[in-house]
Amino acid sequence: MSVTYIDAIHQAQLDLLKERDDVFLYGQDIGSFGGAFKATQGLQERFPDRVLDSPISEDAMVGMAMGAALSGMRPIVEMQFADFSSIAFNQIVNHAGTHFYRTGVPVPITVRLPCGGTPGSGPFHSQMVETLYAHYPGIIVATPATVSDAYHLLKQAAVLDDPVVFCEHKFLYRWLKTEAIEAEPLPLGLARIARPGKHATVVTYSAMVHEAVRAADRMADEGWEIEVVDLRSVKPLDTDTVIASVARTGRLLALGEAFPWGGVSAEIVSRVVAEGFHLLDAPPMRLNAKDTPIPYHPDLWAAHRPTPESIIEKLRELLNL
Amino acid sequence: MPSVPIIMPQLGESIAEAKIVRLQIAVGAQVQADQEIIEVETNKATMAVTTLCGGVVTEIRAEEGVDYPVGSLLGILEASQEEVARTGAPVIGEQKEESAPADKEEVNLHFRQTDKSYEEPKVVEPSVKGLPVPAGMKGAHYISPRMRARMCELGLREADISAIVGSGAGGRVTVDDLEKFLDYIADWPHSAASPMRLAVADAMRRSWSRPLATVGLPVVLDAVLAHRAQQSPKPGLTLYVLRAFAIALAEEPATAGFLIGEKIVHPRAFDIGVAVQVEDGVMVPVLRNVDQLSVQELTEEYGSLVDEARSRRLRAEQTQGGIATVTNFGTFGLKWGTPIPLPNETLILGLAAGIKKPFWSEAVGAFVPVTETELCLTFDHRVVDGGGAGLLLQRIAALLQEPEKL
Amino acid sequence: MAPFTTVSPHASTSVDAALKLMTLKVMISSRTLESKLSSLYKAGKIVGGVYLGTGQEAFSASLGCCLDQELDIFAPLIRDQAGRTGFGEPLIEATRTYLGSVLGPMRGRDGNIHRGRPAQRRPAMISHLGTSVSLVAGMLMARRMRGELKGVVGATCVGDGATSTGAFHEGLNLVAVEKLPMVILVADNQFAYSTPRERQFACEKLIDRAKGYGVAGSEVDATSLTACLEVISGAVQAARAGEGPQLVVGKLLRLCGHGEHDDASYVAKRLRESNLGKDCLEVGIQEVLDEGLVSEREINEWKREAAERVQEAVAAAQKDPTPDPYQEDWKAVSEEGMQ
Repeated sequence: MSVTYIDAIHQAQLDLLKERDDVFLYGQDIGSFGGAFKATQGLQERFPDRVLDSPISEDAMVGMAMGAALSGMRPIVEMQFADFSSIAFNQIVNHAGTHFYRTGVPVPITVRLPCGGTPGSGPFHSQMVETLYAHYPGIIVATPATVSDAYHLLKQAAVLDDPVVFCEHKFLYRWLKTEAIEAEPLPLGLARIARPGKHATVVTYSAMVHEAVRAADRMADEGWEIEVVDLRSVKPLDTDTVIASVARTGRLLALGEAFPWGGVSAEIVSRVVAEGFHLLDAPPMRLNAKDTPIPYHPDLWAAHRPTPESIIEKLRELLNL
Repeated sequence: MPSVPIIMPQLGESIAEAKIVRLQIAVGAQVQADQEIIEVETNKATMAVTTLCGGVVTEIRAEEGVDYPVGSLLGILEASQEEVARTGAPVIGEQKEESAPADKEEVNLHFRQTDKSYEEPKVVEPSVKGLPVPAGMKGAHYISPRMRARMCELGLREADISAIVGSGAGGRVTVDDLEKFLDYIADWPHSAASPMRLAVADAMRRSWSRPLATVGLPVVLDAVLAHRAQQSPKPGLTLYVLRAFAIALAEEPATAGFLIGEKIVHPRAFDIGVAVQVEDGVMVPVLRNVDQLSVQELTEEYGSLVDEARSRRLRAEQTQGGIATVTNFGTFGLKWGTPIPLPNETLILGLAAGIKKPFWSEAVGAFVPVTETELCLTFDHRVVDGGGAGLLLQRIAALLQEPEKL
Repeated sequence: MAPFTTVSPHASTSVDAALKLMTLKVMISSRTLESKLSSLYKAGKIVGGVYLGTGQEAFSASLGCCLDQELDIFAPLIRDQAGRTGFGEPLIEATRTYLGSVLGPMRGRDGNIHRGRPAQRRPAMISHLGTSVSLVAGMLMARRMRGELKGVVGATCVGDGATSTGAFHEGLNLVAVEKLPMVILVADNQFAYSTPRERQFACEKLIDRAKGYGVAGSEVDATSLTACLEVISGAVQAARAGEGPQLVVGKLLRLCGHGEHDDASYVAKRLRESNLGKDCLEVGIQEVLDEGLVSEREINEWKREAAERVQEAVAAAQKDPTPDPYQEDWKAVSEEGMQ
């Protein structure tokens, strides 16, 4: 018996619908069809009034969810692909994101974004968008890397009073499995040491946690002990755990699958340099995807995003400084 | 009577100033609240300036055809107390009750509206303070990451730039200063430093990071020399000193301790090194358990170690684990020195050249010739003080008077 | 201190006199308040911008007055001071927001017309046009999911310019798909800022779009108070009765600039002198006088009373404390440790 990442997301939504009358799901093809990735399979049958198909109107989907949230509901919106959330950008960042500060009334919506690449998905079904939403005030951005986090962070997100952008990685949906979901969840907002080490710290999130751990495992054969920090949420960003890890290792590689200009990895470097300059033995480094749209061909795609090989190469450079 | 300002309004989000087209009032005019009194022109739009309350115009500070910045005081009205209360109009010179205490007048806004004008805030205090960044040290002691990177690129150490007078902030040596210095010395004669030279340099540089002090004590060597003459093979003079040094240290191990953080790390064994001059450098083979073995027992090992050092055949482990070193610079005819201990040792004992001296002998009742030398002890003053060093030297000198016990 | 209360929102289609008089009173109050706000802006007391609804009061106030303040939802846009007042927003909320008082609903964090009290079913608009359509749809759908939708109407207002946005289209389509009890007012006021309607859309009449969306549509001469009340009360009642979304297009001319920094010199004289350019407030007064519902003296009394109340609201707001950057919590989320 094993649980996949997508099972965890399905289970979290099922449990939320069972446990709370104020939760409802809204998105394209999520009803009897069960969603493009089957994250809502069978849920409409059990909760016909609270699992609703939407028109292909990302802006209106989030606007509607926000209105419902202001009227006491806790909607979970499924974007079919994170890439399409650009259509809802305005509603998320300008409408929902500003609302608490402006009015004092929080907006408890969760927007699920199936993000990140899978081979062959191409430029419009592969993007990482966490940076865009984290940039704006008033939004929480969760980026689970594990099956248990996919379950627990989604459950925590739905009951938080503020807007949460929930970045779930499509590559992990069926590839990532665990025996059982952990009973004791870490709260949203705390990072986790995915792998302890002492020679260098890799700070990352989402699917890249697994690539970083693989790279670290291979380097262990040569005697290098690489620590991997899984941020779990990029906003809030657990700077304390990151700084504590860098204090142990003296070296930092900030890793992300997103495009390289600015972004979460740049934010990590910026915080470490500003608050922990004295902890560094070497200049901090970043590794991201390439600065082009995401290519279609699997070989190009695999080279576009960071891989264990490119992470190892970067780590060697870092360890030699 | 309260004075109420007439202000150039902000007529549009990007408008910084506006031109007065027409003044519709004169000093002495009676005006109503919200009356349009001045016609102004911004880029393309014509607008009116209104009054904040009714009253009498007492002052006009603006001229037609002239541009005035937003927030300028264009004139003043005198109004009754009742009119000011009715309209809530601001009064010149009267502070509105603020929720902020008065000492926090300067606020973090682009513009601060006062009753007189808009003013830019003078100082904006950061609302969040970061951790302190240790960058306050001055002069060559502080080497910036950029400077350090250039030094690494050139293979330079801090000591290498000591000759450079810095021109940077607080007298720091900048990359530019460094490049100029390197240009300046480029034409001087030079030779490559050998690996041995570089290894010694590295050890001395690391050692020199500590506060080192040197004390000296004369000691008569005749007893040792007499004892040595009776031995076969003859032990080296240095070996007697080595042995006396080890016994004295074994009696007070903390003297050879090593300070790490808040701990004194004591010796595990009294293994003492001996400095051997080789071509273009120094090697320090280590004799083991010198406190427990006699001079006779050590003679053979000592001889072979010195030979191996001179022929550069020492294995790495033969130079490791020493807790102190003896250096006999007397072989170069030197009468005084300040030797530097190895970076991982707290003490080094120097032995100067022996010289014949007249010595008043009570037994003989006359001056007799003796051979005297100077013992020079350099110590890490963090661990040992002058008194402790003196007692150690006294003890060594005493042991050397009874060579048969060595 | 709500100065106005709704009169008989569930009344029959024929507009009753009390509703008409109250709507006119709301229009007078709104015009008076907005004139004062304009004046404060021109005297340098208000920063940012002042956006008025001059000429749109009859259309906007009719909606505000036909809605049930205790039950319905009203999401106004920038030219809906009259609708806000008609729906019960106290004058002091307007003056406090414009003057940046910490006691106002936005506490100096947002200004001018970006105000609201969501808990009282008055969402706070943002500058991005069309976003409130889906927002109100969500507020209605929440009620439907909880079985509390019966008898509730949601309403929002846009201008002809907003009908060009994706958000408006997505929102209205969603409202139609869900068959929500919603009234959407489009003030076809001839200009979006300075852009004339010919550069905004190509259909002959905006109301033609109603059929395309699958919603009921009606068009009204929005310079007439009587016509506005008749059409809008009809639309509100139809929505309340379960007849689905109602799109109402009001034909009128904006009688002010986009904001008070704009002298609207691009509006042709011919247009201003046309029937569209009639001032709905003057028309409305004439209508009630002609019907003999009220005397000119009473109307003057209303105007005097409105001026007094507006002056009180302005004076009070000016005495309020302004926000203190040193005391500001700078929190963008409600949960602790989540920023």
